[in-house]
Parts: sequence; C-alpha cells; structure tokens
Amino acid sequence: MNRILIDKDQFIALKKDSELTIKNDSVLTLVIEENIDLVFNIEKVKTDIYVYAVDKSLSVTINANKEKSICNFYYSNINYDDNKYQINVYHKAPKSEVNLYNHGVNVENNKLLYDVTSKVPKDNKECITNQDNRIINIKDGKSTIRPILLIDNYDISSSHSAYIGKFDDDVMFYLTSRGISVSKAYELLLKGFLVHADPEGITEFMDELSKI
Amino acid sequence: MLEIKNITVKTTDDNKLILDKFSLTIPKGEIHVIMGPNGVGKSTLSKVIMGNYKYKVTKGDILFKKKSILDKSTEERAKLGLFVTMQDPMAIDGVKLSEFLKTALREKEGDVNLYDFINSLDDAAHDLKMDPSMLHRSLNKSFSGGERKKSEVLQLKVLKPEFIILDELDSGLDIDSLKLVCKNINDYLKENSDTAVLIITHYPRILEYIKPDRVHILLDGQIKKSGDRKLAEEIESSGYLSINEVEEAKNYE
Repeated sequence: MNRILIDKDQFIALKKDSELTIKNDSVLTLVIEENIDLVFNIEKVKTDIYVYAVDKSLSVTINANKEKSICNFYYSNINYDDNKYQINVYHKAPKSEVNLYNHGVNVENNKLLYDVTSKVPKDNKECITNQDNRIINIKDGKSTIRPILLIDNYDISSSHSAYIGKFDDDVMFYLTSRGISVSKAYELLLKGFLVHADPEGITEFMDELSKI
Repeated sequence: MLEIKNITVKTTDDNKLILDKFSLTIPKGEIHVIMGPNGVGKSTLSKVIMGNYKYKVTKGDILFKKKSILDKSTEERAKLGLFVTMQDPMAIDGVKLSEFLKTALREKEGDVNLYDFINSLDDAAHDLKMDPSMLHRSLNKSFSGGERKKSEVLQLKVLKPEFIILDELDSGLDIDSLKLVCKNINDYLKENSDTAVLIITHYPRILEYIKPDRVHILLDGQIKKSGDRKLAEEIESSGYLSINEVEEAKNYE
C-alpha cells in the first residue's frame, strides 16, 4: 500500500491502494484511476477532500484521529458499469467532525451501490457526523444507498439523507423557462451536482461529464 | 402582443378542469392585472402560458405576436421573449446564479461578451441592492423570500424579455423591498416601452407602485369582470364576494 503524507494542498492521481495521512490544514483533490482501497488519517486539522472517479469501485476508510479534526469529504462519480462504493468513517477522538457528500450519476441501466457507514463509539463525545448521499439515474439503473449511522453516544450531532432518482421536473421547468435547452439544463445540473470546487485539474472528469 | 383565445385547461395527471373558456388580450406596452382569491387558477395561468408539463390546453389557443405558441416548448417560449417571475422560485444546489444567467443569455443570443455580461449583472445587482456575493452562490439556495424575488427581477433585467408575467411578486417582500423591486420594473418598462406585463396578485398593494391599464377579476376559472384601476380599489374595499354576488344576480335575471 502507498503511504502518502499530506501537509499542503495537493492534486494526486491514484492507481494503487493508498494510505494518506493529513497533517496540516489542506485541500486534497484525488482522481481515482483504478478500483482501489483508500485510508485517510485525519490528524488535528481541517481538510477538504475531493475525490473524482469514472466507472470505478472504491473502498474508503476515514479515521478522524484527533480531537477537533474536521473533514469534509466530497465523492463524485460517474458510472456506466456495475460499481460499488463503500465508505467507513471512524470517529476516534471526541469533538471530531466528518461530513460526507457522496454524489453519483448512474448513466446506463447498471447497478450502483453506496454503502456508507459512520461510527461514533461511546467514549467520544460531541462529535459531528453527517451524510448526504445522492444518486441520479439518467436511465433506469438499479441504484442502492445504504446509509448507516452507528452512534453509541447521546452527545452527538448527526444527520443523513439519501436520494435516488432523476432531476426534479420542476427544476427542469425553472431552467427551461429562462430559455435554457433541456440538454444545457442537464449539463448545468450535472456540473452543480458533481463538481464541488474549482474544476481546474480534473479535465478528464469534466470531459466525461460533458458526454453524459 | 399576447392573445389567449377561449382556452380550456386541465391538469395532465387527473384531467381536473382549471380554466374554462378563458380569454384575455394584452396589447404591447400595456400592463394588465389578474386578481382573484386563492385557488382560482391565477398562478396556473402563468404556468400554462409558459408551457408547464403539469397542464394541457384542451381547447382554444394562445398567440404571442400573432403566432400560436401551443406547440412550442417552454424553452422556445422563453426564447420568443416570454418571462415569468415565479411565485416561489426554486433553489438549485450547485448551480451558481451568475453561471445560470450566462448560460441562459448564451442560449438566447449566442456569443456573450463576458465583460458586458459581468457589468450588466453587477449593475442589476446594485440597482436591486443585492449583495454581490449572491451572484456566485447556488441559485436561490439559502436566499430569503425577498432575496429570491430580487433574484427573479435581476434575471428579468439581464434577459430582457418582451412579455413579463409577475406572479405574486409582492409575496415575501417587505414594503421597502417591494418599492425597490417595482422601481426596477418601472425603469425597465420605461427603457423597453413595447414590453407588456401581466401581474397576478391577490392584493392591490403592488398596484400602488406599478400602475395597470386594465384589471381583470378571475373567479371559477373565468374572467368575471374587467375594468380600470378603480376595480382594484373596489376589491380592496368590498372583497371578491361582491363580484360573485353581482354575477349571480345577473344570472338570476
């Protein structure tokens, strides 16, 4: 397994299983090029992690190791074949915060599974753990989301949401009522749905996005 | 400019009758008002004019600049110059207001000069006293009710339509914001004197700031009475019930 130390903003393309330890406040952008396992160790920092994947299965572990560590994790993927995304979040310190934004687009009639688990043990008070899980089916794909919160402490702030479906017809009406074509409206919505930060550096992902 | 000819409108899902033998003509440069109590089909009318998928016109026709628009998509109607400020504008996560407007303008006019676009956007935001950071936030997300209405008017000022429907513009606006928004619309109408407007409202308050040429009262899916601005004042003092009573008395005779 690759071991990578992150101490500043970085852009990395990954082909192998990797363990990333984040030591300083940073913004990390990852492009996933193979089906791999990733482990993130979040030390006493605030980090935003953006992960982009096209047609890949991915397994992720996030260890919030230190008190007051904050991780905002954005996973964006485009799927044409059957794929699985599994993520486990472990709050290993009190007052740690992990917010997940898992957004996928299921383009063809394939299967896409999101298995999302956040765990807070009894010892760790005042943690914040949130999940926002959404899959847009462009055709009639079979998508599944399993949002799981395993919380063994009363003093926790937590929320989860799961949506599988198409873009709202009323949203499409709003956009087209301004003269935007249906295809352009889809392009705008897909970009808003999948790209959470400056798209510079993820040109291949953006190219893939424009083909949907 | 807009002629609605004897239309019957039903819901697409369950065939429920919404408008029956409804007619209305709005010449260019005129401001017309449709007033009526809740649930008579006022907002539905704006959606029907824009071609919303939830409604179907089963009889009659809608003409814009003398051509039927019934077979036109919502996008095509907007490109022809129709615009509605929505009663409850949608929040769209991830789509920035500025990017949304740039896309709309590009679709309408082809190439957009980025410098001119940014200037027109900044000017419109300034005129509406909107925080410029709102232009770069997700469309209507976390906007207050008043901010959403200002965002609608900002879109209008940038996209420059020829026919404007103001659907319950005053709801969600405090009095100062209402005055400001109406001033912006009046300024737009001064600069674009051929533009026609249809105001849809419950209350005559907005008519203190945007002066209409004609007022129509919509009840039971039909226009029951039309008149000048004084009709709105009558409604303010007597309510919609008085219109029903007059009509019932006429029918009885």
